Amino acid sequence: MNATKGYHSGLVDLSKGLISREIFVNEEIYAQEQERVFARSWLFVGHESQVPNPGDFFASRMGEESVILCRDRAGTVHVFLNSCRHRGMKVCRYDDGNTTVFTCPYHGWSYGTDGKLAGVPFFREAYHSEIDRTKLGLVEVAQLCCYKGTVWANWDASAPPFLEHLGDFARFLDLILDGWDGREGQAELLGGVQKWIIPCNWKWPAENFSGDTYHNISHRSVDLVGAGPSGRSRRDYSELNVARKLHVAIPDRGHQTITYVLPKDHEPQAAYQNSPEVAEYFRHCEEERRRRPGANSRLMGAPGEIFPNVALLPRQPRTLAVWHPVNAHQTEVWRFFFVDRDAPRAVKNFLRDYYIRYSGPAGMTEQDDMENWNYAHSASRGVIARRYPYTYEMGMGHAVEDYEFEGLRMPGRVVDLTKAQASEEPMRNLYRRWAQFMEADSWDDLMTWRRDGARREAAE
Amino acid sequence: MSGIVNVRDLKVGTRVVLGSGAEVEIVSNPRDGVWIFARYLAEGAQAGEEEMIFAQDVVEVRS
Repeated sequence: MNATKGYHSGLVDLSKGLISREIFVNEEIYAQEQERVFARSWLFVGHESQVPNPGDFFASRMGEESVILCRDRAGTVHVFLNSCRHRGMKVCRYDDGNTTVFTCPYHGWSYGTDGKLAGVPFFREAYHSEIDRTKLGLVEVAQLCCYKGTVWANWDASAPPFLEHLGDFARFLDLILDGWDGREGQAELLGGVQKWIIPCNWKWPAENFSGDTYHNISHRSVDLVGAGPSGRSRRDYSELNVARKLHVAIPDRGHQTITYVLPKDHEPQAAYQNSPEVAEYFRHCEEERRRRPGANSRLMGAPGEIFPNVALLPRQPRTLAVWHPVNAHQTEVWRFFFVDRDAPRAVKNFLRDYYIRYSGPAGMTEQDDMENWNYAHSASRGVIARRYPYTYEMGMGHAVEDYEFEGLRMPGRVVDLTKAQASEEPMRNLYRRWAQFMEADSWDDLMTWRRDGARREAAE
Repeated sequence: MSGIVNVRDLKVGTRVVLGSGAEVEIVSNPRDGVWIFARYLAEGAQAGEEEMIFAQDVVEVRS
């Protein structure tokens, strides 16, 4: 019989490389992870370019919660729980817009864009002026961080600051947020956010984007069609073929990615050959990028995952995705597409067409992925199927620290995939961190790097 | 017509009468159909004061 009522240690057994299917399909575990993972993790909320003016707002999500990202009249960015303090009704039912107040349609309580409770119907007559309106503003996140335009928030005041949580992984996120020519923070959102629901647990896409190179065969048909920006394969690969292909996993944080490290003094290769104008734009950017100091000029981004539920695809296409949990068996996907803010219009148009051809509910590559996740989830729900754990044994014991290629040192634990092609080190890293969250009672236990640092200092 | 005032489309500067009999002038309208921001006009304790006015308190449009 399946006796699993909820999470317990042993479901994630990384000493053997085995993970129980229960963590994907068990509804009690799902309920527990809302509290233990999502209520205390840093979560991606949106991009500042979505709220450029005072009064602008964007209705977003943090885990299952509806939240409002908004810029108040003074220009300060806030993230609020989208729920009236009186009876919980959503005070914002639009996707985005500009407003002076958020008014609850149920009983009419009204809040300013700074979250303060501004209007209470019959305050004098019915309440006899006796409730303290200053204590009944919209619930605001405990911590908020705007990083190169992206907005991140956390409900837990005891969590470390966002950049400490990101740690050495920041350079991989920067591959999306910095300009393609290497200038800092030049990305802007292209169009709206694509949103759709898939019938699988949120950890399926999180695992996939952690760096699953093993499933490349799934996308064979897209490669054969030549959906890429040069009419060959699904991406431009000429630079990648001379680079070192790596898995990089940051053990203390639960972030991991595929990345390509280019040789020193490597010249830009032809890319985006379907359009001479776009090809010239990227050739120019690549040259500029190589002239700017900084290690990132030798990195080519590839799929990665910021713990717990944000996926990055820095290069082709250039997007962030958020895997919002809906229930144990459903995930709402939000995909954000990025371009250089000052790229020519023709480049943005070209990229928009390529992005939606690749990603999103109608994107050819994403459709392949969804087929895998959805059917794997469905086939793992039965009482018999649940008895058999998944294997994550690939490449155990083959990751190294202090990896360096021609003078460029990589952080974290690294597996060189140039010959190996695939490993499951990133997935083990993801689930190791997930299990730590499920078991740790406080952030004191989760900030292992601080504890280890203090120990090192004491030893010295 | 129902005789109910629809505050959603009232413009800034419009004068309205409240259930209390007080007359106020709209200073801004969030157009949510529930609230207006208005200044009390008539002499009295609240004259000159600005306040959020609940739609159900508005009984008549003066100008």
